[in-house]
Amino acid sequence: MYTSLRITLFFLIVLSSGHLFAHELTPTYIKLKQSYVENVLTTRVNLWNGRADVLYYKLNVYNEKWEEVSFFSLPGDVVKVDYTERMKLDVFIGAPEAANAVYVCTRSQILKGLKQKTVISSKICSKIIK
Amino acid sequence: MLKPVIVLAGSLIATGAAAQTEIVGTVDSKCIIISETSGVYGNPSPNLLTTDPTNGGVKPIIRYDVISADYYKAKISYPITFSSAPSLDDVVNWEGGVTVSEVSDSLMSDYDTNKITYNNATEYDLTIAGSTWFTVASEADYGYAKSLPAGSYNAVVEAECIPL
Repeated sequence: MYTSLRITLFFLIVLSSGHLFAHELTPTYIKLKQSYVENVLTTRVNLWNGRADVLYYKLNVYNEKWEEVSFFSLPGDVVKVDYTERMKLDVFIGAPEAANAVYVCTRSQILKGLKQKTVISSKICSKIIK
Repeated sequence: MLKPVIVLAGSLIATGAAAQTEIVGTVDSKCIIISETSGVYGNPSPNLLTTDPTNGGVKPIIRYDVISADYYKAKISYPITFSSAPSLDDVVNWEGGVTVSEVSDSLMSDYDTNKITYNNATEYDLTIAGSTWFTVASEADYGYAKSLPAGSYNAVVEAECIPL
């Protein structure tokens, strides 16, 4: 009961917070399924942009050693997501590459010429479960 | 002719049109990275840029919110290059570190004890649900007591949330 009260309070604090500079990617664990193209698997992730200082995010797929795995995504691998907007990203991976793919990640893209001295680049990943 | 029209009009007026709009939401495990403070480099001496508050700097603060315990690890890397800077003709020596500055649950107090540090990265297993604030220190020392050229210097802290 104490744990559920704590979680509820946490939710209230998060939801009632004012101006957040937040980045979120769900779900945590994703599964690949057959797409409408033979030998191509697909999955979907949901990106939420709570960062007023960031408009663009780059999608990438990695293997266990954090090496990039080739993929295709809709609407693209670099997407523009306005502040407080959500976007669904469909990821397509060829069957041979899918065997090695482990993480699907989105990283915030910082514009050139930004005046801040230090900037935080956020990257959140979802893990592919076989 | 008039009677069917009256009946039809009456039925239209009498029927209360109702519409239902759904609000859908799900609660599932997730990690949210929040950039609370961007950070500023102070320039206490001609060769040094630092986020140390005693030298005019501001340390970046990053907050991680996790809904469920043991689903994610946090990996935070302090800068080891400038993302933009004037032309530099000597080596820049980078130092830095990541520490837990605030927690929403006292059980998170072990995070700093159990963290793993390698190169410029620090990893924390987020074993407790809630919010954790991480403070990043960064220092750039140019050459051997050499003055940094005038201009704007930017560096990037990388904050990652990786499912376990």
